[in-house]
Amino acid sequence: MASPTVPPPPPQPARSTNLNQVHLDPLPQSVFTLPQTAQLEALYTIIRNKETSRGDFLFYSDRIIRLLVEEGLNHLPVVAKTVETPTGAIYNGLAFEGKICGVSILRAGEAMEAGLREVCRSVRIGKILIQRDEETALPKLFYSKFPQDIASRYVLLLDPMLATGGSAMKAVEVLKEHGVPEERIIFINLVAAPEGLKAFCTKFPTLKVITGWIDEGLNDKAYIIPGLGDFGERRYCV
Amino acid sequence: MPDEFMKISESLSTTQPFNVSDSPTLPTLQPKKNTVLISHGRPPWYSEDGHRISDAFVIGVAGGSGSGKTHVAREIIRKLGSVPTVTILSQDSFYKYLEPEEQALAHANKHDFDHPSALDLDLFSKCLADLKHCKQSNIPVYSFAQHQRLPEKKYLYGATIIIAEGIMALVDPALRDLYDLKVFVQCDSDLMLARRLRRDVKERGRDVNGILDQYLRYVKPSYDNFVRPTSKYADIIVPGSNNSVAIDLICTHIRQKFDERTNKFRPKIAIPHLHFTSLSGTSTLESVEDLDLTILPQTPQIQGILTILRDKTCPRQDFIFFSDRLSTILVEHAFQHLPYIPWTVTTPVGVDSTGKKLDAQYLCGVVIQRSGGALEKGFKRVINTVPLGSMLIQSDSKSAEPLLLQANLPLYVRLRHLAEDTYVFVLDAQIGTAAAAFMSIRVLLDHGIREDHIVFVTFLVARGGGVSILRQAFPLMKIVCAAVDETMQEGWLEGYKGEGNPEGVGRKVWLMKPGMGQIGDRYYL
Repeated sequence: MASPTVPPPPPQPARSTNLNQVHLDPLPQSVFTLPQTAQLEALYTIIRNKETSRGDFLFYSDRIIRLLVEEGLNHLPVVAKTVETPTGAIYNGLAFEGKICGVSILRAGEAMEAGLREVCRSVRIGKILIQRDEETALPKLFYSKFPQDIASRYVLLLDPMLATGGSAMKAVEVLKEHGVPEERIIFINLVAAPEGLKAFCTKFPTLKVITGWIDEGLNDKAYIIPGLGDFGERRYCV
Repeated sequence: MPDEFMKISESLSTTQPFNVSDSPTLPTLQPKKNTVLISHGRPPWYSEDGHRISDAFVIGVAGGSGSGKTHVAREIIRKLGSVPTVTILSQDSFYKYLEPEEQALAHANKHDFDHPSALDLDLFSKCLADLKHCKQSNIPVYSFAQHQRLPEKKYLYGATIIIAEGIMALVDPALRDLYDLKVFVQCDSDLMLARRLRRDVKERGRDVNGILDQYLRYVKPSYDNFVRPTSKYADIIVPGSNNSVAIDLICTHIRQKFDERTNKFRPKIAIPHLHFTSLSGTSTLESVEDLDLTILPQTPQIQGILTILRDKTCPRQDFIFFSDRLSTILVEHAFQHLPYIPWTVTTPVGVDSTGKKLDAQYLCGVVIQRSGGALEKGFKRVINTVPLGSMLIQSDSKSAEPLLLQANLPLYVRLRHLAEDTYVFVLDAQIGTAAAAFMSIRVLLDHGIREDHIVFVTFLVARGGGVSILRQAFPLMKIVCAAVDETMQEGWLEGYKGEGNPEGVGRKVWLMKPGMGQIGDRYYL
């Protein structure tokens, strides 16, 4: 049975024409972005708008998160698989390989869990709390709880905002301490500042980053510009 | 078709009884005059090129008040038996809007409702013309209790036979031009008066003096001056009583006209290269590029999901989960076909950011039942605020022709002036023979939706199937799919004994290969 004639799979790095390169050129090799469609831009415009209601913020950020998770999963390995269809035909397809788990960086990362579970049914999710140490001004691990066999899993690390990249980098260090190799971590991120992204990718060059949008940069208070405010705050509190 | 298969859905609140001012609280006993009858669904009313091949068959029935017009109309429908959809359109809906002083006269029983000028005949012929040309029509609703045209409208669409009845049905030349058959119900004046007396006393609780007064002042002169002279336009004069022979003759005529309009549609488009030459004029199959499909990028995840869905051993819970996931991705992907405009917002950080905004004024979805329901969850995950209508299109158990059983459409589609600016996502599980897709697109176009505003979202398209005919007929519509399958294969389905198929006759079916099997069954059963 001939397999369907369809265009070859574009692996989606979308490096040729990428709005994100306006603020970070060239993109680090390990960074992948979503296809830069008008529709994605429209989704971002809604969640950036400070007038957007909490209900809309939830709904539209969930849509972006789902797209990001779908894109992240494309970097997991697959194996060839042949199945028989209900019409009695043979189909040469692919099967997913390897176990995964999610790890969310508290608090904003938790907002991405619902989107993750919509795409990966009943996936295990670990948590990690990192805060700035008042004395040293460095990110410090306060709490972490992972699945026991995390070292044998692919890890989707969830944090919507990447500003300086301090807590994300700390989280990766913690995961590595738990035996997860860098190349089995996929960092899923909604909005990144070029400074933080550059630092992150320089430190972990084999760790794949899926980011939805790379913004202009940081202001003097280390907020992402134009950004969308405090993601966790808008999602849970305002 | 036996009578038990005839479903009668009465109109909502179209015609209230003729209540007079001194007894406004009487119960409503008069049968509703505007009626839509549905029997076994509407077969294709268009050909393979996408164009309409036949108008609805329109019958005008005129005659004096109490002559038995409604009876004749209902007998025609009853004797026709298995007609697809019939609408009876009553002239009563088209009484004009009354000014306050006219309304007061009406309540005092002093407004002449029996004069042609009391009716909005222009609107009547406009609505009837729309229905005849298979468009939707939103007809006015007149309340006799309030003696006023009500603000609401009644939506009508999809009749194959329309019966327009009313005393003035043959008065207006524009109306007369629309009829395929003109019937005048001829009845003795004394018989008509006797029927009117009995009806108004029994059903409307009015007193005899009032009835006679009204009869002499308005009804009789109107009949003599306006109604009876129009009998000369009639093709057939039917007696007001003992008229079963005349009605039989009318039905024979209609059936004959109908057989002439039948189009065996599905067998021709199912595997087109057997019947047609292709777009490029050769007899080879269309290439995928010619079909202008928007296919999901075949990423590892998409291929993995498709493998799970195609596997015949896939458990139902997995089938549902991965259908929902795939439909979400598909609907997201389909959004690229909508227009966007620049939009600047201020972020909570206090900085302006210029992005984009959806520029579709109206957006809605239409699910083709049953298997299109497998994409409904995905649609709602992506768009949570827009109306989602449905169409039930089923294959006739004998002829395999697609039949439109129900069209439950969003308001944006029903109202023609909004339809022009509306984008519609049509959801169906696959385009195989394309018969259901064809019918649903035709319904939307009939309503005034622009072809390039239709986005058809589906899991699978069969390259060797009806999609090439569909594409040829509707070059501007967008088709978004997850994968393209190679072939359609003809098969034979053993009939099961049941509704409309008492002998259990088998019929031709078409299978998509490799396909996903019966998606509706796998998702729902």
